[in-house]
Amino acid sequence: MRYQSQKLAREYFLAALLLFLLQVVFGILGSVKYVWGYDPLLNIVPFNVARTIHLNLLVFWLLLALMGATYYMVADEIQTEIYSVRLARIQLGILLVSGVVAVVGYFFQWSFGMPFLEQPTFIKLLIVVAALIFLYNIGMTMFTSHHQLTRTTATLLGGMGMLAIMFLFGIPFMSNLSIQYYFWWWVIHLWVEGAWELIAAALVAWALIKLTGVPRRRVEGWVFAEVALVLLTGIIGTGHHYFWIGTPHYWLWWGGIFSAAEPIPIMLMLVDGVRSLLKARTLATVNTMALAWLGASTFVHFMGAGVWGFGQTLPQINRWTHGTQITASHGHFAFWGAYGMLAIALMYTILPEISGRKPANGKEGLSFSAFLSLNFSMIFMVMALLIAGIVQVYLQRVMGRDFLEVQEHLRLWFQVRLVAGAIFTVGTVALLWDLFRLARPLPATEPVTQPKLAPVS
Amino acid sequence: MAASRNVLSALTIMSAIVFLGMTVDTLRKMPARTHSDQISDQVVEGKRLWQHYDCNDCHTILGIGGYYAPDVTKSYSVRGEAWLQQFLKNPPAMHPTGRQMPNLRLADAEIGPVVAYLKWVSEIDTNGWPPSPQGVARQEPEGHKIFLAQHCNTCHAIQGSGGTLGPDLTHEGSHQTEAWILDQLNNPASHKAGSVMPSFAQLPGREKEELAEYLGGLK
Repeated sequence: MRYQSQKLAREYFLAALLLFLLQVVFGILGSVKYVWGYDPLLNIVPFNVARTIHLNLLVFWLLLALMGATYYMVADEIQTEIYSVRLARIQLGILLVSGVVAVVGYFFQWSFGMPFLEQPTFIKLLIVVAALIFLYNIGMTMFTSHHQLTRTTATLLGGMGMLAIMFLFGIPFMSNLSIQYYFWWWVIHLWVEGAWELIAAALVAWALIKLTGVPRRRVEGWVFAEVALVLLTGIIGTGHHYFWIGTPHYWLWWGGIFSAAEPIPIMLMLVDGVRSLLKARTLATVNTMALAWLGASTFVHFMGAGVWGFGQTLPQINRWTHGTQITASHGHFAFWGAYGMLAIALMYTILPEISGRKPANGKEGLSFSAFLSLNFSMIFMVMALLIAGIVQVYLQRVMGRDFLEVQEHLRLWFQVRLVAGAIFTVGTVALLWDLFRLARPLPATEPVTQPKLAPVS
Repeated sequence: MAASRNVLSALTIMSAIVFLGMTVDTLRKMPARTHSDQISDQVVEGKRLWQHYDCNDCHTILGIGGYYAPDVTKSYSVRGEAWLQQFLKNPPAMHPTGRQMPNLRLADAEIGPVVAYLKWVSEIDTNGWPPSPQGVARQEPEGHKIFLAQHCNTCHAIQGSGGTLGPDLTHEGSHQTEAWILDQLNNPASHKAGSVMPSFAQLPGREKEELAEYLGGLK
């Protein structure tokens, strides 16, 4: 770490990690409701409240982690202090306050009522303010520096700008549900398969350069190609959400074909990542856990978003699977691989640099146990939901059995998911323990007396 | 390298333009496909309530939302107005065991708009979604379909499939006549004072007869 303002990342990360834990707790609550027929909390925390909080905290903690990493990376890339530490703290404060108010409000039915975008309008406006502060702060840092923008920082800024603009389409109330959902996807889809992908591609490239020592020229050469392909396939690929919501029939063709190509850039990222990682051995200090999370992230990103997504993106298949547990399986797998694991990789990259501690090598502390338990339990969860989804499609959609009757037949798989979720919770606690340890500054020791250098004349 | 990058960038910008063009065309076609002339103030109020109570984080609508509760896209055409009205008044009473919807204590003035909204939703042209079932369910007797559609199986089992709150109906026809079953459907308290079974008097007469005939035939 070269710049004091980079310490901002730690504040963002620690807040993000606490919200992550809370997200997991509400996830467990939801999955218990799937298993138990009787719900003692039916009138206190009904399923919709648990799910709303689970989704909102997911978005919140990922955004905080990505923003924190951005502050660190931008200072690192263009070699300057962040324009205003105070603004960054105000931004974090606004986001945390709006998050807490939103979550508490959900218990009192204070909801906008669109999935993921349940925040009441004035909270959404607060989030917009925080995003504007962030863009201003990052923009000013970039433009007041003498250094030229690197391609990675330009990509990152582009992604963050796109994220802010797309969010605006989720704010108004529209009286026509179909049109409301048309633009709702501009937020949801164009975030996770657009803006966030740009941000992720930039942060992955930066981390790869940093962790593996692969030449910048080579890594950055790929970034633009990946980003262009993400947008080329992903923008019209939004059409795979426009099959059944009251939109014209031609979307079945456009959405099907373009979204079927969406795994291509993700595969390029995987190939690119693996090739860089193979060269990591030549470095003197190896940040093992950061590399493990980063490598695993590119793979699970490809599986969860690419393969699981492709599996149901063609309209002939989607017609049967749309709105079932298969989507839940895909959602968990893709979010975890593409963004959750990446956020964790960035924390393992950045936190030791801030605290001055040795990077986690997987042999001490809980870092490796956390890695294994989180990833294996997530795979179990995703598989259980996938099987539940396939059985559901068969019984409910093909055989025409009643929804609630079919849910009874899925109970076993919901039980497996609950067990996996419990292990995931333990893994989350272990991860927090490990990252909080890494984040703690080294205890103050005797000030190292620097040998006086003769003034250069 | 630079050349291929320029080609890629040009294609990407083109794709964004195509997407915007398709959006314009889609927005032009959607009013007809969604019967937007039918969106009355009552329908808008229903949508507002649907969002206010955050229904969409348990239920899916147009296949989007929580996967915890049934999709409501076709609720109106499958269940009918009377059923929806009675259900929304007190969901746990209509569905006393298993996974439940909380009683939102909706006022009558709220139930009307929600039902009107669901009616409007059920008429959206969804390109044939959800697909009609292909399996053997089609050959099931009409009465059994009604049995499932009215959630009788929440409380009553037939041949091991269903709930245990009410009597097993596997051999119902050996115990009771069709007329007795019809009375029971119309007024459960007529046979047992204080019965927890909700009344199904609101069902169309034809459906009640089909159901009674089916159950009476289970020997």
